[in-house]
Amino acid sequence: MIFWIWVFGAMYVALLVFVSVKSFKKDRSAEDFMLAGSNVGLILGVLTYAAALFSTFTFLGMPDFFRLHGIGAWIFLALSDGAMVFFIVWFGYHIRKKVKQFGFKGVAGLIAKSYGNKWAGYIIFLSAFLFLIPYVGIQIQGISIFMNAAFPGSLPSWGWATLIVVVMLVYSEVGGFKAIIYSDAIQGLLLMVVIWIIGASCLSYFGGIDKMFEAVRQVDEKLLSTPGPKGLLSTQFLLASLIAIVMIPVSQPQFTTRIIVMKSTKSVHYMAVSLGVFAMLVITPTIFIGFYGAVKYADVGREEFFANAFLYDQPGFVAALAVIGLIAAGLSTTNAQIFALGSELRGLLKGSEKSVMLKTKIGIFAFSIIALVFSLLVSDQIVLLARVSFAGTGIMGPMILLGVLSDRKVPPFVIFVSGVGLVVFLLSLAGILPSEIYGLRMDLFLFIVLCLSAILGYIFGKKSST
Amino acid sequence: MISVSVLLCIITFTPLVTPYGIYKPMLFGVPYTMWMGVIITVLLVLFTYLGTKVHPGMGGEEDEA
Repeated sequence: MIFWIWVFGAMYVALLVFVSVKSFKKDRSAEDFMLAGSNVGLILGVLTYAAALFSTFTFLGMPDFFRLHGIGAWIFLALSDGAMVFFIVWFGYHIRKKVKQFGFKGVAGLIAKSYGNKWAGYIIFLSAFLFLIPYVGIQIQGISIFMNAAFPGSLPSWGWATLIVVVMLVYSEVGGFKAIIYSDAIQGLLLMVVIWIIGASCLSYFGGIDKMFEAVRQVDEKLLSTPGPKGLLSTQFLLASLIAIVMIPVSQPQFTTRIIVMKSTKSVHYMAVSLGVFAMLVITPTIFIGFYGAVKYADVGREEFFANAFLYDQPGFVAALAVIGLIAAGLSTTNAQIFALGSELRGLLKGSEKSVMLKTKIGIFAFSIIALVFSLLVSDQIVLLARVSFAGTGIMGPMILLGVLSDRKVPPFVIFVSGVGLVVFLLSLAGILPSEIYGLRMDLFLFIVLCLSAILGYIFGKKSST
Repeated sequence: MISVSVLLCIITFTPLVTPYGIYKPMLFGVPYTMWMGVIITVLLVLFTYLGTKVHPGMGGEEDEA
């Protein structure tokens, strides 16, 4: 395996260097660096969106989710992704219209302009910072766990994590957003190939899909229905997850940016359809890997399951591809998120283009260091942390949607209520406030309240003269 | 199109698609919620494709800037 890791690793690094250098322009503008000139075509658009969406969370987290919680995991992610791509068609059209009106330097900046209130931007940035950093941290941690399994004893966890962050910072600094998009394309393709090779290998262990489900039934038939053996995938959990995932293009700035930098609305539409197909294709093999784990590694911890299913049970070159594929998946998502935070910061800064860019780059560096520290501290299931990230940023969804759709001057109470919603959600996560209210999950309850607040904000908003 | 897609999402969270603790009837050995979930996902992507065909954004009139 080690030999193949060096071979595939060298090829991957060579490709990263190539795209970074190819994307480098000496006299590039801030627009070129942060938004790749806003001229991204269909294929690159699909791959960059998919690579940002399907990450360590999909590669490791989804098999583990199927292993522990059963078939409801499909509803949790694949079906919700189906709803999300439908939503992109509608939302993409409207946000691109808004960007034509106000320009684009990050979602926070756009919504602050749309509301005519800088606090709207600050709250969106705060929410992105609070919920993206832990998610980035756990991606970095996922890669370092895997690297420890591949190269036991060669580097401590913090060493692997630091190496990952350094690679990410170097290639994004050299090539900017364009390099990230190109590397996403490589990573998206690599992820698809690797996950299918491992998925097919796991399926062949059973000898067919029907035999796989039969084997799972013999282990624990609760894995074949919702809410699953631990009762996690309840109707409310799945519904709240669907809402959070549908809100991803609205409230997670790395995805909003990818919709905006597409060269036309037509490209966005085709990207949405292709992304739906990509999602089904990439999630399907995670079922096979997950149920392979449910049958063979039902009672072990996640690290042991990952190490066995992805490395030790695979031929050397497949295990090596898994290592490189995982690094690629984690890097692309991490990079997308850190760069998006930089972009959000840029939208809130004032000053000359040169000083704003300098502060943005310092911001990107600082976010990376914070995420690195977080990766050494965090301990949770990857999927559940990702879901908290989606739900947390999703709380800003109604306010952002109102800013995008409304042609009225929205009253400030919408911003205030969204800010309170954010605080309540954080307190609920910390266990200070209850996780349910009136029998509803807190995230679902908050989403309903914030939607009502946005509707009232629209009704009481004054018609804008612009 | 939008209302059908919303309806599909809503029925997902009813016992019609996610009955509590029930995995039968199976289809080709696949549990009930799994195959229903796959069908609904495919339909949502199909409706997304059909939606792009009738959406005003496909005219490209707002992309010249």
